[in-house]
Amino acid sequence: MALDEIVDGLSEVSCDVLVIGGGTAGPMAALKAKLKNPKANVVLLEKANVKRSGAISMGMDGLNNAVIPGYATPEQYTKEITIANDGIVDQKAVYKYAQNCYKIIEELDSFGIRFLKNENGDYAVKKVHHIGTYVLPMPNGETVKKALYRQLRRARILISNRYMATRLLKSADGRIAGAVSVNTRTAEMLVIKAKAVILCMGAAGRLGLPTSGYMFGTYENAANSGDGYAMAYHAGAALANLECFQINPLIKDYNGPACAYVAGPFGAYTANNEGSRFIECDYWSGQMMLEFYNELLSGKGPVFLQLKHLHPDTISEIESTLHKVERPTRGLFQQGRGVDYRSESIEMHISEIGFCSGHSASGVFVDDNARTTVPGLYAAGDMASVPHNYMLGAFTNGAVAGVDAMEFADSHDFAEFDATDVAMERDRVMAPTRREDGIPPNQIEYKTRRLVNDYLQPPKVTRKYELGMRRLAEAREDMQERMIARNAHELLRALEVQSIMDCADMAAHASLYREESRWGLYHWRTDFPEKDNENWFCHTLLSKRDGKMTSEKRAVEPYVVPIADDEKDLYDKQRIRASA
Amino acid sequence: MPLASYQTSVPVVVDDAKCIADKGCTVCVDVCPLDVLRISDMTKKAYMAYDECWYCMPCEADCPTGAVTVNIPYLLR
Amino acid sequence: MSSPFESYDDLEDADERLQAADPAERRVAIIALGHSGDPAAVAHLANMVSDPDAGVRQQVAMALGEFDGPEAAAALVKLLVDPERIVAAAAADSMAEFKDPACAEIILPLVKHAHAFVRMGALRALKELRCKDTLKPALEALQDSDAAVRVQAIGVIGFLKLEESIPALTALINDPDAHVRRAAVSALAFSHMKPAAETITRALKDSDWMVREMAAETLGLNANGSLAADQLIGSLGDEFWQVRLKAIRSLGKMKVERAVRPIGNSVNHEQANLRKEAAAALGEIAHPDGEAFLAVIADDPDPDVRKNARWALQQTAARKARAGA
Repeated sequence: MALDEIVDGLSEVSCDVLVIGGGTAGPMAALKAKLKNPKANVVLLEKANVKRSGAISMGMDGLNNAVIPGYATPEQYTKEITIANDGIVDQKAVYKYAQNCYKIIEELDSFGIRFLKNENGDYAVKKVHHIGTYVLPMPNGETVKKALYRQLRRARILISNRYMATRLLKSADGRIAGAVSVNTRTAEMLVIKAKAVILCMGAAGRLGLPTSGYMFGTYENAANSGDGYAMAYHAGAALANLECFQINPLIKDYNGPACAYVAGPFGAYTANNEGSRFIECDYWSGQMMLEFYNELLSGKGPVFLQLKHLHPDTISEIESTLHKVERPTRGLFQQGRGVDYRSESIEMHISEIGFCSGHSASGVFVDDNARTTVPGLYAAGDMASVPHNYMLGAFTNGAVAGVDAMEFADSHDFAEFDATDVAMERDRVMAPTRREDGIPPNQIEYKTRRLVNDYLQPPKVTRKYELGMRRLAEAREDMQERMIARNAHELLRALEVQSIMDCADMAAHASLYREESRWGLYHWRTDFPEKDNENWFCHTLLSKRDGKMTSEKRAVEPYVVPIADDEKDLYDKQRIRASA
Repeated sequence: MPLASYQTSVPVVVDDAKCIADKGCTVCVDVCPLDVLRISDMTKKAYMAYDECWYCMPCEADCPTGAVTVNIPYLLR
Repeated sequence: MSSPFESYDDLEDADERLQAADPAERRVAIIALGHSGDPAAVAHLANMVSDPDAGVRQQVAMALGEFDGPEAAAALVKLLVDPERIVAAAAADSMAEFKDPACAEIILPLVKHAHAFVRMGALRALKELRCKDTLKPALEALQDSDAAVRVQAIGVIGFLKLEESIPALTALINDPDAHVRRAAVSALAFSHMKPAAETITRALKDSDWMVREMAAETLGLNANGSLAADQLIGSLGDEFWQVRLKAIRSLGKMKVERAVRPIGNSVNHEQANLRKEAAAALGEIAHPDGEAFLAVIADDPDPDVRKNARWALQQTAARKARAGA
């Protein structure tokens, strides 16, 4: 049989709760749903393999938003996140996360996920930020996925690997009815009927093109091509604040984090070419990235992660984490470059753009129960709009989604979808396999992502955006009319390109809608350089209405943790330049 | 338009002498998030079929016999 | 089309596959059993601990780590004493994954094993089980000739957080190995009574800088830590800035007013981390005498130092206003 040969087939299964995406939020959602109703059927669908999928395929080197009693309070954390997001936050969900996350840490600990502990068994929480204390290192955190998989098997979750979900199914009255998926090795299609669906499909991390030019050398796991964003969009769900891009600091060329949260507690810091700190703001934010960006261009760059002032023993300790957990090829990369942290600083850069609420605020809109605007449809993790929620937020909000979705499933029967929707989707999915001649997905992807870099990357210029959208429309036409896939693996890539294209269009549309600058580098519009609280202190929601992309404003919910006026400007006030 | 294929040096290397894919092992192929590894019809050993690597390491870390080596893709090196 | 779901029938024909002539085939079968999550797999795996092939035994050791409980522990105990290091190492890693306290009594006898690696592995596994019966053997293991074993024994004792172990931990302050001394100081953090604080205070004079650093940090977590304020002030003259940094942080947390001047002397240090910490501590203490020092770094080239200095001046002003009102 030829490699990844295409097999024609369509079958159907049904379950009570369907979780799409087996990375971080997904396994937790599936477990909690099953625990809520052990008699129910829970399916966990995964494009790769649950054993090693998602952003944390090789574990995580630390928690950077742990709200642990004695070190930080939910109120303090909620304020911090609100301020880091320039106030555009529905606090209820953030506050709920902050209240629940310690319980989740304890549960993960019981799963065998390893957090750093002192010799007295207490968590070894570290202070990195100016105000709060939120960092819990995980120097042995490489087994996170292994521990999760163990739990899934013990709970007898129905795991379906190598199936890529392509579209959601809904009933005539707008309720969720299930999803269509395709096997990534055979192209056989599978329809999954479900009473409730939870999307945990990760960031849109394959949107911009990395500076190395290697298409899969992305900051995010390259499998995270934004399929969840695209599916939610086509299902009519609202997506929040997509103009608040994800852009992260990283090791130049390597495209993985450096990672300041690992080295920070030991005294390492981000410095310019003069060896001095330059970042004025405190918590990770778009403002921080703007300062990073400016320094790179200022003539004081390049920017480095500086460790050489630390004791050699300390550096060895840092290396043992950096080169083992999360992105373990970091060590190999530095070795190839001949960089020894003891004598040389690590050159850093900024990442390509993407969508990711884990690091910023761009996600499918959810409330504090992880509900989207489509009844029965939930979202959690990097793709859901709870800002800055990182790995621990994925677990915590995934748990919330799992419980609520099972309650929904328990009180609803299957919604009926239209069979023609499935037939149409099958035609769309298989179209690239039915052409004899055309353009392969890798070329369309490269071109799309190159256009994203050229036209959509901040600073955002209206005229450039207009030109970029024209070019993207041309690429879309090629994609829809001429893309070919000669085997099932190429079909997987062809489907991913379609997600990437949708995300590029959404990024452009959302960015043009918000006529102000906000969130530092994330939404820096040169034509509207000022923050405009009078007109734009609001969320923006993007959705598909009557087949068209539309945006609207949505008021920020009243704060549950009030922030005094002098606190609101805390960050701005801290940005004090040396007068000399 | 006609298609051509072009050369690329792939980052994942498998030591055939150590690989036990011919004995039924599929660990590296199973765990790859990008699904770029396959088992060769000819040699019955694992190999990198598609140059779409995130150099993330599960294939190397999980290989029971230490047969897999992940290198940094040339463009990043 | 075959089922789209992962199989839960991994045990079907398991015995036959485990008896394959080719060790590689046996390995493949063991991997499947490990991933199965089926508790019944443990019995099959336990049958393989004497396999003639070391690679197979290593795989068994890894697979057993996917389970928990006395049955898996009993099998791993046999692999931890395996003559092949790769097998024993895998067994030690797997055993450390256990959470079921019932495993403790099975692992416990290995604490007396002839090989240090076995003793170490057993203690490492016992730590997370937090089982009171392990206290006595762990206390005995503090006399072990191997330092790595002593470090693991400290963990077992520290995790149990029992006041009765304070004297034994205190005695380790004179241990010849710096890692042991450092671990003992870290473990003593569970106690907020005077004896623990006194012991940690003595460690501020340790010959190893990392022990001193740990002591300076740990005192800040101890309710009686302020009894050591003078000694911590003494540590501000430590030759390692890392130690001074932790001493400053602890003095700040304790709001020791007589430390203001000694801390203030660090605002000119070349190491920005230390200047930053000094500013933060002066803010915690918020004593008017700190203002002159903070004025020096209000314009520091390092933004983190400026930020903290600014905040500290605000704190000091706020305290003055409260005092005036």
